[in-house]
Formats: sequence, C-alpha cells, structure tokens
Amino acid sequence: MTTATLQKVTHDESGFSNDELVAECRARASVYRMLAGAFLEEPSAEYLNALRSAEAMATLQAMGVKFAGDFTDVPLAQLQEMLACEYAVLFVVAGGCPPVESIRLTGRYQQQPFFEARDFYKKHGFEISNGRFAVFEDQIGVELTFLAEMLERAAHHLESRDVESYTHLEKEIKRFWALHPGKWVRGYATLLERASEHSFYRQMGRLLGSFAEWELELLGVRVDDLDGGKLKVPKAEIEYEFDPDEPVCDACDKGRKDGDDLDAMLQTIDTSLIEKRIKGKA
Amino acid sequence: MLEMTRRTFLKISAGTTAAAVAVPKVLHAMENELGGKDFSPVTLAERLAIPTNCHVCNIQDGAIAFVENGRIVKLEGNPEHVSTRGRLCAKGNSGMWYTYDPDRILYPLKRVGARGEGKWKRISWDEALAEVAQKLDAAIKEDPNTICMKYGRNRSGGVIDRFMNTLGSATVINHTSVCESSKKIGMEPTWGPDIETPDFANAKYILNFGSNIMEAAYFHNPYSQRITEGVAENNAKLVTFDVRLSNTAGRSDEWIPVFPGTDGAVALAIGHVILRENLQDTDFIDTWCNVSTAELKAHYKQFTPEWASGLSGVPAETIERVAREFALTKPATTYTYRGPAKHLYGSYNEKATMMLSIMTGNVEKRGGYCMPRGMGWPQPQPEPPKPAHPSAMAHPHEYPLAGHKVSHLLPYFIAEGRQKINVHFSYQDNAVYTNPGAQAYWGKLYRDEKLIPYYVALTPFMGEEAALADLILPDCPYLERWEPESMPNSLWPWLGIRQPVIKSLGESRENRIMMRDIIWKMDPDGKRGMKQYWNFKDGEDYMRQHFDNVPGLKEAGGLDFLKKHGVWPIYGKLNPRTGKISDRTGREIVPEYGLHMKELSASDMTGTSVDGKGTIMKNGKAIGVRRNGKNYVGFPTGNRLINIRVDEWAKYGFNPMPTFKQIPWHKDMKDDEMVLTTYKINVHKQARTASVKWLAEIMHSNPVWMNTETGAKLGVKTGDLVRIESTVGHMVTKAYVFEGIHPKVVAIPTAFGHWEYGRLATLKLKEKEAGEFGATDDADLNNVWWEDKGVHPNAIIPTVVDPIGGSQGWYDTVVKVTKAGPNDKYGDVEGSWEKHLVAAKETMRYAYNGDLHRKMHPEMASWAGPASVKPGEGGGHH
Repeated sequence: MTTATLQKVTHDESGFSNDELVAECRARASVYRMLAGAFLEEPSAEYLNALRSAEAMATLQAMGVKFAGDFTDVPLAQLQEMLACEYAVLFVVAGGCPPVESIRLTGRYQQQPFFEARDFYKKHGFEISNGRFAVFEDQIGVELTFLAEMLERAAHHLESRDVESYTHLEKEIKRFWALHPGKWVRGYATLLERASEHSFYRQMGRLLGSFAEWELELLGVRVDDLDGGKLKVPKAEIEYEFDPDEPVCDACDKGRKDGDDLDAMLQTIDTSLIEKRIKGKA
Repeated sequence: MLEMTRRTFLKISAGTTAAAVAVPKVLHAMENELGGKDFSPVTLAERLAIPTNCHVCNIQDGAIAFVENGRIVKLEGNPEHVSTRGRLCAKGNSGMWYTYDPDRILYPLKRVGARGEGKWKRISWDEALAEVAQKLDAAIKEDPNTICMKYGRNRSGGVIDRFMNTLGSATVINHTSVCESSKKIGMEPTWGPDIETPDFANAKYILNFGSNIMEAAYFHNPYSQRITEGVAENNAKLVTFDVRLSNTAGRSDEWIPVFPGTDGAVALAIGHVILRENLQDTDFIDTWCNVSTAELKAHYKQFTPEWASGLSGVPAETIERVAREFALTKPATTYTYRGPAKHLYGSYNEKATMMLSIMTGNVEKRGGYCMPRGMGWPQPQPEPPKPAHPSAMAHPHEYPLAGHKVSHLLPYFIAEGRQKINVHFSYQDNAVYTNPGAQAYWGKLYRDEKLIPYYVALTPFMGEEAALADLILPDCPYLERWEPESMPNSLWPWLGIRQPVIKSLGESRENRIMMRDIIWKMDPDGKRGMKQYWNFKDGEDYMRQHFDNVPGLKEAGGLDFLKKHGVWPIYGKLNPRTGKISDRTGREIVPEYGLHMKELSASDMTGTSVDGKGTIMKNGKAIGVRRNGKNYVGFPTGNRLINIRVDEWAKYGFNPMPTFKQIPWHKDMKDDEMVLTTYKINVHKQARTASVKWLAEIMHSNPVWMNTETGAKLGVKTGDLVRIESTVGHMVTKAYVFEGIHPKVVAIPTAFGHWEYGRLATLKLKEKEAGEFGATDDADLNNVWWEDKGVHPNAIIPTVVDPIGGSQGWYDTVVKVTKAGPNDKYGDVEGSWEKHLVAAKETMRYAYNGDLHRKMHPEMASWAGPASVKPGEGGGHH
C-alpha cells in the first residue's frame, strides 16, 4: 500500500520523475543548510560571500528576500563584524531571544525539547559536533541541519530506488517537524523580524517563517505554533491536529474508526497535500 | 459476660490510663521517607539523586539535586546533613533556575560598544584567554599589584587567592566590609572566633539583638530549626531588639523597638544591671577573662539603664527586667548579626552584646553561647608564595584593626590615585548594585576607563557590574561546579562538597578551571614558574587533592564518600518522628560542649612553660592556660583567655573595654529626619535572586516601611509615593504604613529595583510592546503578572566606615522623607559621585589617624596619638 501511494505521488499524479524528486530533496536540504548557517553561529566570511554572490542574491530576491544596504553595500569584514555583534545581542546576551526551542517553549535552557531532539538525532545516528562554539541540540540551526541531513538521506534512498526507506524517512521528517520546529519556528521567525536591527536577520527571519510554512504544507503536517512570537490564542485552547506522539496516519484512538485496519493504516501516509503542492509547483 | 454501661466504661477507662501508658508502643504511624529519594510522577522511575551543598545564599545547606533524563527537576534537603537535617529554604528549592536561566551567559563576551552600552561580541575561550593573558603580562611588568580582584561570594576554597598569589598581586578586595566585618572584629580579639554558634535548641532564654535569624541571617535554615525547637520544645523565651517588626521579631515573645545603632548601649545597660545586682558568673569571669569581676563592675557603673534609655528609647524598666530575666534564666544565649554591627562603631556594639553571654558564664555551655565548630582541608601542593609587596588598597593604613578589609572604600581609593589599576577582575561580586552608592558611585567607577582601564567580570549572569565589563568570562552556577565546603552552622563540624549535578551548559567554566586556563595561557611551558601551582586535570582532580588525605575522611573513602553523601561525617539518621538526627540507639545526638576546657595532653605539655598568669607557652606561643592545677586549651586568642580588655585597640586610641559611641549625626536629628535602614527577606539574597523564577514571583517589590504615627504626620498612607532624600541623593518609592517599625526609622528591603540581571529582575519586558529583543515573547513570561520591580535604595546610602572593624554603616543614613511632589515619579533614583566621594572622605575622619578620633574618645586622652603606632602594627586577619 505504501509503495503504491508513493508511486502514485512520484510518477502518476505529481508529474515529478524520481530524478526530479531527488533534486527537490537536495534543493530543500540546501535551503535548510543556508538558513542554519544564519543561526548556528556568527556568519563566516565564506558564508556571507556565498550569500552575497550574484546568483544567490538573485535567487533570494526571487523568493522575496530583500536585504538592505547594511547587508549588500558593506565591506565583507565590516559586515561580518556587524553581524557578529547583532548575533550576540539577539541570541547570546541577556535580554535576547536565543533561537533555542527549550527557551521558546518553556522559558529555560535545556528542558524537554533539548533531550527529545537529542534522542531523535541519536535514533538516526547523529550527534552534535560543535563548531566554533558549543551549541544546544534544540537550537534552530541544529534542527535545520538535521532536517537537511535527513533530506540528503531521502534523496539517496530515492536514487537507490529504496522506496520503503524513503517513505520511512519522510515520516520521520514529518514527525520531527511536528515535534520540534513546527511548534516554534514560525512564531519565532515573526519575533526575529521585529527584534532585529539588521536587515540580514530580519530577512532571514522572514525567510525562515515562509520556508517553515512551505515545508509544513508540503509535508502535510498541521501543527500549531506554540511560540509566543505568534501566539494568538490561550495555550489551553490549542489542540494538536497532528498528534506528534502518534504515527502520522490517524491511527490514534481519537481518529480511528470502527473497522479500520490499524496495521494497514500504520503503513499509510496522507499524501494529498504533498500531491497538491507538487502539482502546483510543477 | 461482663456488664458494661457507658458510665462504668468511663470509670474503667480513667482507672486504667496509667496501665495503658505503660504498655510498650509497638506501632507508630507510618512515616514516609524523609527525603533522599524522589520519583518521576509520569514514569514512576526513581530519579537520580546527587548530594551537594546549596549555594543560592551562603548558609550552605545540605541539598540533593534530583536529575531525570539529564535535567535537574527538583532540589530538596539532604537528610544526612547534620546541620540542616533535610530542610532547604525557598531559595534553595529554586536553585536550578540559575542553571536554566534564559539570560545566562554561556560564552565569553567581549565589549564592542562603549562601556555599558550593551553591545557585545561572542569570542572563543582561546581568544578571551589570550587577551586576558596579554593584559596581565603587561600589568605584571609594571607592578603586579595593579591587578585587582574584587570578589563577593567566594566559596572557591582558596582558588581565588591561589590565582592572585600566582600573579603576584596582593590587591585582593573581598566584600566583607559591606557584610559583617565589624561583628567579626568585635569578636575575634575578644574570644578568637569571628562568629558564635548559639545552642538555641537547648537554651531557655534567647536575647536577639537585631538579627532576623528566622528569615535571612546567618544561619537562617539550621538556626530557625533550632530556635523553633528551643521555643516550642524547651519553652525558651525569645526577646528581640530590632528597629522593625521583622519576621523574627514577630515570632518572638517580645519585640523591643530600639533606635538604630543603640543596641550596644542597651546591652551595656543590661550588663550594668547584672553586675549591679551581682547576677554575673564571677567564677567564669575570674577564671577565663583578662578582666576581673571587680574591674568589670567598676567599668559598667557608668552604663545605667536611664542613660541607655535616653539613647535607645527602650524604657529603663524594660532594660532592668530583661537583665534580670537573662541573668537568672539558665542556660541563655545572646545572638547578633548585622543589626548592631553595621554602624559607625559597630565593633563596639558587637563587643557589648557578646559581653552579656560572657559575664553570665553562658559560654560553651549546653543551651549557651558556643564557639563555632568547623573543619578545614589541605590545599593542593605546591602553593604559590604570598605576593612580595602589600597592597595599599587591600589593607588601608587608616584601618589597621580592620582585618577583614574595607572593600567599600575602593572607589575613593582609586579616585584619589592611591593605587593604580591596570586589570580589574570581579568574581561573584555585583558591587554596582550591592555597595553603598551603587550605580551612582560604583557604576561611575566601573564606567570610567581612566580609573579602571580593563575590567573582566567572572560571572554567569549579566549583573549591573558585568554590564560595565570589557570582557565577561562565563562562570558556572553552583549546581555545575566543584567546591569544598564547611560552615559552623550547627554544633557538629562537617565537611561537604558542591559537585556538578549536570554537565555545565554552553561554554561556561567553573572558577578553578578558568583561572587555571588563564595561568596556562600565560605560562604554557611552565618556564615562568606559574603553571606548577595549577597542576590538576579537572575540578574533581582538584577536589581529590583537597579531600583524599583528610584524616578520618580518608578512611571513609575520601572524595568518593563525599560524592556519594555530600557531607562527612554522618552523625546519625534523621528521625522521622522528631526531625532530628538520632544515633544508632535512637537517641538524639549530643554535641560536645566546653571546648575551652579540654585538657592538654602530656605530650602537649612537653617543653612548655607557665607564666604568672597561668598562660602555658610553647615555642613562643600560648597553647593553653593553667587553672586550678589543670592545663586547659582555653580560647583561641593570643593569651588563651577571653579578652574583655583588648589592648590592641588601645594602641590606636580606641577604648579597649566594652563601650558605646553614639553616631554623631544621629544626635541632632530634626523632627522631619529619620534613619533609613535596609534588610533582607526570606526569598531573596542581596543581588543574585531577582531573576530566579518562583522567588521573583513570590516577592518583587519593596515599599518603604513607615510607622503609622510618622505616616500621619507626613500625610502619607500605604501606597502613596514618598521622596526620600539623603546627603548623597534621593529616591521615590511607595510607602507601606503600619505600626511595626520605630517611628524614627524607615526601612527598605534590598534585592529589588534591578536595572540589569535579566528579564525577571528588570521587567524590561513590560516597558515596550515587544519587550527587550522580544523577551516578552518568552513563553514563561506570559505568566509574569506583576509590573512592579521595586526600587533599589543603595545609591542614596553614603559610605560610612567603622574605624575599628571597617564595616559599612548601612543603618546610619539620616534621610528626610516627604510626600512625593508633582515631578517625582515612582522609581526615580539619583545619586552623586561627587557627594559620595565627599562622604567617603568625611567618614575617614573617624579613623585612628583622623581628626575626629580623639573627639570621639575623650576617655582615651592619655593615648599618645597616631604617631605613637608604627605603621602595619594592626591586628585581625591580614
């Protein structure tokens, strides 16, 4: 059943060939990495150079990202210094808004999201390897990097025609989105847009928010953003449409109907949104 | 069958009660575990329990951190800890929020804007260490003493001194003069130790001078337990002299309001009554003191109850009654903390109060006034030598008796150019908030790059001081670091540790590691001879060097024992029925009393000589005292006696006998003037708790207390804004009007009104729509229902120095209080750097070489003057 569904998506209705899906996975991974680079630590010269290349700027502009002169017209060394200071003020110094899930959802460092994210990475064979600075497992840059790695693997599975592994991985990506970034990055992105004084982080905030919306729709994951940055309703009224602790197939008691084949459902994913999105893009 | 009616049943019951009582009790109500274990409410799995010592404040309660899946989820008392017996106060229960504070500093930060502008850049440890090492090298080339270390709550077990000694600098400035130094100096030359350990639990009468011991003072948790036992189980009477109805005064049998700074006069008058009526313990005085009963009686004649009443406002008949009660009730003890000591002549006040326990012979008795019991530990070897040259700021020549230094004069000394500073460190010391003058004085000092060219703050939090630093090195909060510990907070000595209960967050490093790394950076190959003193792998290795060879502990397992239990020795088991420690037989453990009456052994006596006064000398040092043919160890003073007369004080023109000096500017106070005092409360410490969740919610504002009578006179009622003006500034705050304070006193608790220290302390999230950098969107801050962060009074409190003990006169500030005017708004605080400098200069006139010293001591007319004393002859702990 899984295979059939996937085949339907990849060949019959989306119009995307397997190669195109591979390319899309890698393209998405690339966006994840690019965004992660803005948050993991202070942007490096290489990163900024790459981002300020004509090609990258054109691509970003096409997506609606509009950096101001404080990003485009400043000598590289000066820009790097300015962004290092902005990074510290926004994410490191007291009174800032660290891009860390535990902080955003519980108000404290290293709480449940930290441990859950760490366990998630471990389950997939990843562990943190610090860059220039130590970083929390539930920092946005790490979460995005993890998703990029997962998409790389997904692309590899597609290339290998290992549909079962691809499907499993896609489920895990959905689960991770539902359990972690889906709960906070959209709200956080709006906050970042408001808080940043530099157009780089303002625009990265915009891009992060839009990309998160796009990904969630593409994946068919519906999860409320709990971050205060976007919170509009009292927390008590929030209800998960996608239960992150259950398989992604409405197999929970709440959604199951009499007579449903649970085992079969466990192997099924609702691909309608993905199909719709991919069709739209195509 | 027996015939029973209700009436016969009653008769039978009454007649058999005695027999029923005599039947052995084989059943008790089921008791839960008294701590030490905890379980996840979700999984029911037992949580990992790691013993440590609390360090939210400095009481050093035994604690257990419960860790679930790598996260600290709960703190509670360690039931094996003999002093605190499984109890932890509100502050201790909240300690994990330091670790997880969203405003915590986790990386080295380098200033990039102007000082205090708030612009920072994150740099690597390697960059930070290289920068510090370069600055230190340059400073050492000029003069090692240009490197200054100002520390606050230093429980590093000697690491700070090791660091400074390695650098060769003697410019080590503690914080004791804003804490309790005059209490220490009032006591040390008299009987040796710097503190007492009263046996409250077994006392029958407790005379408390100005200590809020059941809420905030040393040692709040263990002593609250013992006082409660004394009062509830032993029927002790608790009498408290205080300017305000503190939580301790409110729980006392009697609260006796007293005018600020006059506790000493009241104590002397109580002594007068005791000696006049021959209620003293003549045998104790004549055996153990350096002044005879007859001399004492003659000296105390001048301190009449009427005299003290005129100064203090305490009725003479109250003084007479309390004196008789105290002397005739045995055992009894006095207790003090900052109340009497934090005044211009606080050392005299402290001396006067401790005299009551001495003259009634309550010293080292069950239920009496005992010496502290502590334990030491060896330092890792080798140790660096002491610096070659003394520091003119660490031990100012004007205060030779102030063995615990005069830290709060630092801005004045630096401003006057007494000693140049090239590199300034602060370690757990937020002087910009906690010291007199605060932002107006210390803030100005720390901002000025001419006065302090390079400032490094060692701290996990962006306090008011760190915000002005050039470089911040992220220290660990207490649940992530190693430290040796011992405190005399009960009559049973103990050793303990703090140990990391989780791996430290981010890139924070504990004190000994970051200092080691600085030294290693300066001396990478050891050729400069510095590295040898920092020869340890990590914090645990350092602790092993402390603890693995302590006799007794070594046999028990050394550091491994402490890692498992948190404390050594284990005296017994916490009895669930009594809440006290019981030995193996089920009996409550009993401390050792009469430490001064321990007899010297034959080997101790080998090679000794005994002088005419009975002093037992060995190798030029007094090791004991002979009394009634027995050789006792006596008291840990230079002559092994209690020195009621402190000859060393006389050398500098101070009265060597118990005395009192009225604060000169309190003499002629106008009708509209009052004395401003400050105090601490149970859920906060001085500067470092305002951002701690739970504690901030419990108490976050600090209206000024004012007596009903005063309020009526000023037309002020609770909630009204008042303007409080001192000689150095003014503030505007809210009034709380009630009867629980002396009519001539206004009181403001500290710990509030922060302008730094994180989001909960500053409440900046409430100031603008999006808060500071979006802090308002922090999920947890949605629960912040309060909008009042309080007002901090220290900017309007001038520097006052006790010329003997060096203490700040926190409770000496004369203020004018008026209803706020149209231009006054809540939270206004203004202080003047220039006026604070003038105040510092003024208070130095009372120093032994100042022009007001003789005027204040007419009884010392025969003193030959300051020129008669060689510089550096001072006493105390240098």
